[in-house]
Formats: sequence, C-alpha cells, structure tokens
Amino acid sequence: MPKNLSIKVARVQKDMTQKDLAAAVGVSRQTINAIEQGEYNPTIKLCRAICRVLGKTLDELFWEDDCDEKE
Amino acid sequence: MKKSNLDEMQEQALLKIEHNGCWLAFCGLLVAMAVQMMMRVPGSQMLGEWIVFMVLSLYLCIACLRKGIWDRHLTANWKTNLIVSLLAAVATGILITLSNPYLSEPLDFVLVAGITGGFTFVLCFAALSIGMKLYRKRREKLDQE
Repeated sequence: MPKNLSIKVARVQKDMTQKDLAAAVGVSRQTINAIEQGEYNPTIKLCRAICRVLGKTLDELFWEDDCDEKE
Repeated sequence: MKKSNLDEMQEQALLKIEHNGCWLAFCGLLVAMAVQMMMRVPGSQMLGEWIVFMVLSLYLCIACLRKGIWDRHLTANWKTNLIVSLLAAVATGILITLSNPYLSEPLDFVLVAGITGGFTFVLCFAALSIGMKLYRKRREKLDQE
C-alpha cells in the first residue's frame, strides 16, 4: 500500500500532530501513523471521521490514481 | 455492547493475536495427544486434553457453519473432502499402529493400520459431507436474507 501523503499534508496544514488527530477521531497515534505510512487500511467510518476533522473530502484524502493502486 | 478500549487497528491486531493463539492451542493439544499416544500413556491421562480439544473443535465447526464459512483456502467439494479424509486416515493409521504395544508381525501392522485408517476415512468423509451440506444450506439461507 502506498504512503498516504494527503493526510499528512492536510494534518500539517491544520497545524495538528498525529497525536492531536488521533485524539480528535478517537484512535491511537499508532493507528494514524500506520494510515499515513500506508500500513493500515482504515474503515470507512474512520476515513469519514478523519475527513471531518481535517475539513477535506474522502476523494481528497483517500482517492488513489490507477498507478498508485498498482503499487 | 461493552465499550472497547481499543481502536479499530488495535482490535484487528488483537483478533490476529487471538487467532494465532487459538491455532497454537489446537496444534499444541493435537501434538501433545499424539506424543502421549506414542509413549503409550493410558487414555484416562489424556482425558483433559481430549475434552478441551473436542470442545475447541466443535466450537470452531459450529461457529463457522452458523456464519456460513467453510475455510479460508479449501473449497467445499467432494474432491477436497476425499483428500482430507485420506490424509486423516493415513495419519490415524500410522499413529494407532505405532502406539499399539501388541503388534509384532508385519501383517498385524498392515491389518491394524488398514482397519483404523478405513474407519477414520469413513467417519471423516461422512462428517465432512454432512458439514458440507449444512454449510451449503446455511450459505444459501444467508445469501437470501
């Protein structure tokens, strides 16, 4: 799974640490780290919670191009 | 439902750990009983392991059938049942023969292995066939819901 840089960028734009984002969506920091590293595929429920906190759409944070999906 | 202290990734990690633990216990009990049989330990001393093993096996079978699940890799068909039953028969035949203290002649070995293996094959194949029918029935019902 490729790294999810979109979340990292959106989080930094909001001036949030992984710990802040984790607390806001109610998961552990390790989970946010794993999502950003592309090591964990979150449920749609968690994806929506992250989008809500970061003020982005699902497409903006989780959509992958065809070439990304093949990685 | 009880509130969980874990988030979804930790929950998945815990399920994986519990899955590994379950199969470790299953295989451990199987090996422990096989070793005790080879050492010709009386059956009464293996009763505890046998009960735990059977309860675990029954729970896994019933829980999977209720959810309409057969296996992660094997498909439910006659060919698979035949192969699995044959493997079980060979393993049981060898184990029973090697753990029997009264056998000395080669013909006795073949006879005992053949009889126990044959019985195991029939029982295993029947159990798998019944399980397969129940699974298909349950799967059909769940698909229609």
